Amino acid sequence: MAVEFAPAESQALQVLTIVTLAPFVAGFISHVEARFQGRRGPRILQVYYDIGKLFSKETLVPERAGWVFVAGPVVAFGCYLLVPLLIPVLTDYPLPLGYMGDILGGGFILSLGGFSVALAAAETDAPYAQLGSSRAMTFGGLIEPSILFITFTVAVITGTDLPYFEAAAARASAAAALRPAHILAAFAFFLVVLNDTGRIPVEAPSGTIEFGMLDEGRTLEHSGPLFALLRWGSSMKQLVLYVILINVFAAPWGLAGSERVGPVLLAIPIFIGKALGVGLLFAVIDNSFSKLRLFKITEFMAAAFLLAVLAILVLILGGG
Amino acid sequence: MSGTVPISVFNDGAEVLTLLVLLTEFAMLRAPLSRSQVRLYAFQSLVVTALAALVAVNHGLNDLYVIAGLTFVLKVVLVPGIILRLLREAGVELAGSHRLGVATMVLLAIVVSIFGFFTVGSMPFHSSSLPTSALALAVAEILVAFLIVVLRSDVVSQAVGFFSLENGVSVASLVVASGLPLVVETAFLFDLVVAVVVFGVLMRVHHRRTDTLSTLVLNRLKG
Repeated sequence: MAVEFAPAESQALQVLTIVTLAPFVAGFISHVEARFQGRRGPRILQVYYDIGKLFSKETLVPERAGWVFVAGPVVAFGCYLLVPLLIPVLTDYPLPLGYMGDILGGGFILSLGGFSVALAAAETDAPYAQLGSSRAMTFGGLIEPSILFITFTVAVITGTDLPYFEAAAARASAAAALRPAHILAAFAFFLVVLNDTGRIPVEAPSGTIEFGMLDEGRTLEHSGPLFALLRWGSSMKQLVLYVILINVFAAPWGLAGSERVGPVLLAIPIFIGKALGVGLLFAVIDNSFSKLRLFKITEFMAAAFLLAVLAILVLILGGG
Repeated sequence: MSGTVPISVFNDGAEVLTLLVLLTEFAMLRAPLSRSQVRLYAFQSLVVTALAALVAVNHGLNDLYVIAGLTFVLKVVLVPGIILRLLREAGVELAGSHRLGVATMVLLAIVVSIFGFFTVGSMPFHSSSLPTSALALAVAEILVAFLIVVLRSDVVSQAVGFFSLENGVSVASLVVASGLPLVVETAFLFDLVVAVVVFGVLMRVHHRRTDTLSTLVLNRLKG
């Protein structure tokens, strides 16, 4: 008699995987990136040390900031904890809570997280934090049409908009995985992830120049445990986006097909391996293309939008 | 809608290749340098060659092998080589001859290709050699090629736009009449050679008279 996980346990394990391993993936990426630039770079586990250090420091709140400033990072962290319940991290069959929200639902929760951080930044009087939050909101809106069209594509292919079914549709046969609509949607989502994790087109994720920051700029005023939550949260958001990219679109293989303990546990190293692969790819891309000027960001968005629209058109035209 | 057409790896492959042709056309529309445009054209021709070879293998059409070979020699090697050489001789590098912003151009091109998609998609048409959507994609590609000619204001872009338009026509002819007699297909390719010669002469004359490749100077009166 094989030992099995209860569905609730697998679901908890999904969240736990994301929470514990997100800093590792983030640390790996910055390490690799430093190597590409000829630096020795931080240790892979540096992000954990940073978070630990920040938790032992005191929290400073700007003078005129209210409770929103404190609540923002906490709400965001909660949002990023919620999303792994909805997406296929370890199992290829929908877990009970997976029906709580579809791709749009997950997207809304992620946006809520981003929004609460932006709100917390707007609460301060600091110009750079406000600049960051206004930029993040503006450009977040520009990438939204592409995300919508990707969702439509998933909906037309599977008849639902649950991420589990898109992954299952791609796994069904080689022909289904090579469907142009699927490939286009995967590439469009790839571009969306590139943009949302602050790689290309304009951001320097680990820079110290405030003018080069979009998402990171929002956190300039936070300190101590709140800043730790923000850093942890942003690494989790990155890993969540990787999960969707890998396990829904690009490579939905290697997930556990049953509730047996062995396959479910085995799915963790496989998933992390895939995530590190994607991270490596992103680091290579980030280092081999020059950043765009800020207002050229629309060109990048237009490319993602083009792919997403073509995906849906090919589907409507027939076959696809 | 989806589900009515059987999904097969051949159809997928063919459709991905046609999509690549369309996407390269979009890339040409936004490419800032003439040189990169010409390289994109060479890549697009390579994809067309691959598509022709794929259809030839799948349907056992021997004529198509010859066409694919001719396409490769002419469109991937010769034509881009000639244009690149002309560019080198001219010694002017035009960067950014866009008449509109890149994002606007891409959105406009999306609208135009949607128009192409739906006009062709509503035709009751079934091809035996390629999925029907390939025809719609080819027509969209032709329309975007028109946009390149309209929206880019330098001679090289306009020539490349015209040549890539011919690529779209090739794809369309693969869908509609892949069994076309070899003589007719060769005549089409010969047309392309004539166009290259004409455009080459045009580029040279234009460059000698105006010292630039831009067409924006053409509305000035000459004394």
